[in-house]
Amino acid sequence: MPLVSRRRFLATLAAAVPLAVIVRRAHAAAVTHLESDPATLDALAEAVLPSSLGRAGARRAAAAFREWGAGFRENAELVHGYGTSRLRSTGPTPATRWATQLDQLEARARMEHQQPFRQLTVEQRMTLVRAALQGERLDRMPSVASANHVAVALLAHFYETPAAMDLCYGAQVGRQTCRPLSAQARKPLPLIKVSEK
Amino acid sequence: MRAAIESDVCIVGSGISAAMVADRLARTTTAKIVVVEAGDDTLPLPQRLAARDRFLRYGENPWGKDHLDGYEIEGPLQSRSMQVGGLAMHWGAVTPRFSPEDFAHRSMFGVGTDWPITCDDLDPDYQEAEEIMGVAGEQGPADLDPRKKPFPLPALPLTYNLGLLKQWAANAGIATWSQPSAKNSVPYGGRPQCCRNDTCSPICPIGAKYSPDFTWNALRRANKVRLIPRTLVRRLVLDPSGTTISHAIAANRDRPNEPVELHAKLFVVAAGYTWSSHLLLLSAQDKAPTGVANRSGLVGKYLTGHRNVQGFVELPLRLYPGMNEQHSLVTKQFMRPKTGSPFIRHDLRIWESASGKGPRLVDERGALQLGDAILDDWRKRTQTGVARVRAYYDVIPDKTSELTLDSTRKNQWGDPLPRLAFRDAPESVEMRARTEDSIRALFGDMARAGNGKLLRTNVDDFQDHPAGGCRMGKDGATSVVDSWGRSHDHENLFIVGAPTSVSGGCANATLTFCALALRAAREMARGLPAAPKAHG
Repeated sequence: MPLVSRRRFLATLAAAVPLAVIVRRAHAAAVTHLESDPATLDALAEAVLPSSLGRAGARRAAAAFREWGAGFRENAELVHGYGTSRLRSTGPTPATRWATQLDQLEARARMEHQQPFRQLTVEQRMTLVRAALQGERLDRMPSVASANHVAVALLAHFYETPAAMDLCYGAQVGRQTCRPLSAQARKPLPLIKVSEK
Repeated sequence: MRAAIESDVCIVGSGISAAMVADRLARTTTAKIVVVEAGDDTLPLPQRLAARDRFLRYGENPWGKDHLDGYEIEGPLQSRSMQVGGLAMHWGAVTPRFSPEDFAHRSMFGVGTDWPITCDDLDPDYQEAEEIMGVAGEQGPADLDPRKKPFPLPALPLTYNLGLLKQWAANAGIATWSQPSAKNSVPYGGRPQCCRNDTCSPICPIGAKYSPDFTWNALRRANKVRLIPRTLVRRLVLDPSGTTISHAIAANRDRPNEPVELHAKLFVVAAGYTWSSHLLLLSAQDKAPTGVANRSGLVGKYLTGHRNVQGFVELPLRLYPGMNEQHSLVTKQFMRPKTGSPFIRHDLRIWESASGKGPRLVDERGALQLGDAILDDWRKRTQTGVARVRAYYDVIPDKTSELTLDSTRKNQWGDPLPRLAFRDAPESVEMRARTEDSIRALFGDMARAGNGKLLRTNVDDFQDHPAGGCRMGKDGATSVVDSWGRSHDHENLFIVGAPTSVSGGCANATLTFCALALRAAREMARGLPAAPKAHG
């Protein structure tokens, strides 16, 4: 019986594994990567999100973003548009490119400042983010999944939350949350400022 | 092997019109009712909160498998939705009645075609539909918004935003009121009060919005109907005389090699504006060479609907978008053109809006914003508010506004798919620019009345609330069904809801489709054994 070379064995194995499985594994690996080293993403959140969130608030926003990434499903059917029969699905996982981009920010920080990204000042982090976004077409806040860069995706994720809208308006609007119908006739109450511990 | 299913009434389709027919027949007769639906059962209520969460987070379709594969058709299909409950599983539940003028274009304005019924004729059926669904509303001025009984539920209260916008509209000389909606302003029908989740369309997570599955669940629990999902009716077969429907032939999607025969005394086609005409045309046979119910040649013709002009007005008002985004103000003030003025009719609705007021990544100079800059910029730009205004206006359908069979596209059973083409009648083409200009001018006047600015306007390229294809009328030569929805050609065939509309009116049309279906069910019940009268 002829011996099968290692290379040929791997090629045969790769051909036998469906593409969907490989893609799922890439997504899982990227999610694990984001979760196992949260420091860079946390530091990014502190730099690009509003300072009024404080460190704890920024970390909560980063954690929610990681959770979003972990829950992403590729090729899931999107809601039908109104007035159209076109069917659309989600694209490839953005988690893989986010993980790579965080690694790039980290590498850039070490190269330019000889320090990890998390140890840079907020200004230094912002400068690195600005450099990373050079050449990107930016205007309105995109959807999270369509954001090309992890920094933009993080912003998009935060700014689409009801909490962000409340922060902007300084009021308890509570968009998309279950609220008493009877209360809708009155002006939303002012936002209560919670001091950070 | 061929399975046979016997019933008194066979309803094809399980959308909102079918639900109305089944509900009424189940209450008023002892008929054995079978409902056949091509799509799957819909997502149960307890799973909708999680499905909504996926929709909000990822934009995923909350209804899962709600359409048939291989149904990519040519033309403006409103939605691919095909499931138990139909398109109304993700409707917005906006339920105005048509105005009296909507039924009498020809006699009142000398354009289009009159319906064979009046708004007054339909009043009891409107009321019944509102009571089945639980419509919350308030009556507008009685001459513009006539009704004989009050709404079953109190109106949804106006949000703080809509309160401000109502005052703005009043300053512009426009009286508005709370848009009637099939959303529970108080608990009703075993369903809870609305709690403003803001996702009525596509999905209400708590069941405060009416959808047809609630009717089907109740009827199934009471053993009043047998609902058979995943079964596509492919043909209606005539008896040898050609005057009545003998049976329907269907394909069970789980056992495609075992055709199903559905035998009934009465057949009700309730498959919406596309699939109703499609089935009738597919059913061409010796005694009906151009399709069932098509002696007039008008099956699939006169597809109708309405277009809209939409605008966004910036106002010096501090609004808080997100208080109840899908609720609106409405007026019928523009439904009745003044004597001697050109024929221009439309409704008008007003919503809060966040359009153009969202956070952004770059400032006016194109410079990237990060950190506090984004929030600061967003706060500055939201000191003023934006109102969305929209007017549905009349489109008079041409005969060639039609559904035809497309021999180039076939489903998995080899049946040609439909092809849709909406076309305005020449008189409608002539009035289009004038109407749209008039509406834009109105928006401009409204903006000025509020010291605001009309930011932009747009016109959708599709006709909303599509209908027609089996229009009703008194004359069998110029219509497909009579005013009850009964086929002029076949005494035991009814076509109900959207397809029977003569014209699309200029308001959301679903309640009218429901009322038409209930009116048809009243006529059907006359030939069926009556249910014993309830005591007490």
